[in-house]
Amino acid sequence: MMPAWLASDWTIPAGLDDFLWTYGHLINSLGINGLLALSMYVVLAVGQLSLGQAAFMGLGAYSSVLMTLTLKLPFYVVLPASCLVPVLFALAVGVPTLRLSGVYLAIATIGLGEVLRALYLNVDVFGGALGINGIPERAQTWMIFGMLILALLGLWLVGRSRIGRAMEAMREDATAAAVMGVNVPGYQLGALVASAVLAGIAGCLSAHQSSFIGPNEYGFEPAVTILSFALLGGIGTPVAPVVGAWILTLLPELLRGFSDLRLVFNGLIIVVAVLFLPHGLLGWRMRRRAA
Amino acid sequence: MNLLETCGLTRRYAGLVAVDHVDLVVPRGGIHAVIGPNGAGKTTLFNLISGLVVPSEGSIHLAGQDVTARPTHVRAALGIGRTFQNIRIFGEMSVLENVLTGAHARLRASLVSIALRLPGFRSEERQAVAAAREALALVGLSERAAQPASSLPYGDQRRLEIARAMAGQPLLLLLDEPAAGMNPAETTALAGLVRRIADAGTTVLLVEHDMGFVMSLSDHITVLNFGRKIFEGKPAAVRSEPAVVEAYLGARLAAKLRAAHA
Ligand SMILES: Nc1ncnc2c1ncn2[C@@H]1O[C@H](COP(=O)(O)OP(=O)(O)OP(=O)(O)O)[C@@H](O)[C@H]1O
Ligand SMILES: [Mg+2]
Repeated sequence: MMPAWLASDWTIPAGLDDFLWTYGHLINSLGINGLLALSMYVVLAVGQLSLGQAAFMGLGAYSSVLMTLTLKLPFYVVLPASCLVPVLFALAVGVPTLRLSGVYLAIATIGLGEVLRALYLNVDVFGGALGINGIPERAQTWMIFGMLILALLGLWLVGRSRIGRAMEAMREDATAAAVMGVNVPGYQLGALVASAVLAGIAGCLSAHQSSFIGPNEYGFEPAVTILSFALLGGIGTPVAPVVGAWILTLLPELLRGFSDLRLVFNGLIIVVAVLFLPHGLLGWRMRRRAA
Repeated sequence: MNLLETCGLTRRYAGLVAVDHVDLVVPRGGIHAVIGPNGAGKTTLFNLISGLVVPSEGSIHLAGQDVTARPTHVRAALGIGRTFQNIRIFGEMSVLENVLTGAHARLRASLVSIALRLPGFRSEERQAVAAAREALALVGLSERAAQPASSLPYGDQRRLEIARAMAGQPLLLLLDEPAAGMNPAETTALAGLVRRIADAGTTVLLVEHDMGFVMSLSDHITVLNFGRKIFEGKPAAVRSEPAVVEAYLGARLAAKLRAAHA
């Protein structure tokens, strides 16, 4: 399936090889967390708050791993199919809650994460507390970054159109946006579905590069971390949350000794971002004015 | 066929009836005004017409079509545009982007066409920008196109709301106190603008406290008080009913009204 030039026997200089050996996992994490940051961005960009990104990621991870291990499907089928289950859950949570005010979506998505965690723990196919081991490492670095670039490009292009204007208008004033003809509930649901697609793909990629998944990787704590990516970077452009994700992925590596304080650190970032950086570190807006 | 017809339109809130069985008929073309003292139910009537408030009773027809159960964005697409009494521009977006957002319901390019930048999307976007610039020229804000909307002075923000609503090319334009907070020179310019909009074929339904403004512009006036329609007719008829005006609009407005047209 892979084009010939991507097949493995091109020569990598020895130094680069060592580098990739040591940092390959971290590099992959940058791509995966970038995708997760975008999944958060899409929801925040329409003025909603979801804390279900980690839950959608988990659904993508578990469903894709079962497709790989049980159904023995090839990865080029598994990767696109990994967004199906997250999307179904996004619809199930979004349709009843989005008609209510914004808080309900946040609460429902937290609930979703906890329910799913209990499900993974207690149902045999999901491997219980031990999770699932021996996942073939099929997600290549180029696939991860390919998806990230594709997602960034897509969000950028869509952002610079009537859809992007409608999203920003909704974020500022949903009532006025509706009067302009914006289908506000439709856009909110669309954003949630898009975010489930991105998180599902990220979950699939992450599961297929780490050989193991477990129920605790997709709970409340990662949900908060994903939110902090977008709060730190900002949501003025799709690039901003990705930069936020990269900073928050690299910082713990630099501060190895403090890994116990990771959650404290994320909490602090959220507080500081909310109080002092209402537009994130990268506060500029997407330029959308045609010439 | 009338452009807008409300039949028995009612909205109740706990302990009060904001709009009480109002039958309003707006024929195509011209400028129609709804007046009444503070709390008479004018804004609630506009909210009912644009779909922001659900009626407790009654129906709304636009161009013969029953839109009572239609959500706000569908009514916008069917031709109802409006401005807000308490300005609701998109402050962080540029002036031009605000107006472009007003054209949302008219733009059709699909997600695929947008993501692939197909020619259909490009030409539609070009036309939308041209139309938005025209709308800005209409209200005299061309020079401000690139500014953040929140940086505009108050009167300009009101005119931006009008340009934004006009970008949707509405059949019916609802203006909720467009002259509020404007100085006399701005108000005169605004009257000219509303007149041009109506002359170009958009039917205008106007709520305004400035009686000089209302009397000079309107073809037809509906008077509300405590949610009820208490009078309707030509401006001259409203003017020549001092008893009605005084009884229902209060002595202060009645005095203003006479002063404006003594
Ligand atoms: N959401 C609401 N809940 C409760 N009461 C409301 C609500 N909206 C409006 N009202 C009441 O309904 C009545 C009509 O209000 P409305 O804003 O329509 O009046 P108005 O004619 O626009 O007044 P003004 O000239 O001051 O703008 C008022 O008594 C108001 O307090
Ligand atoms: Mg009002």
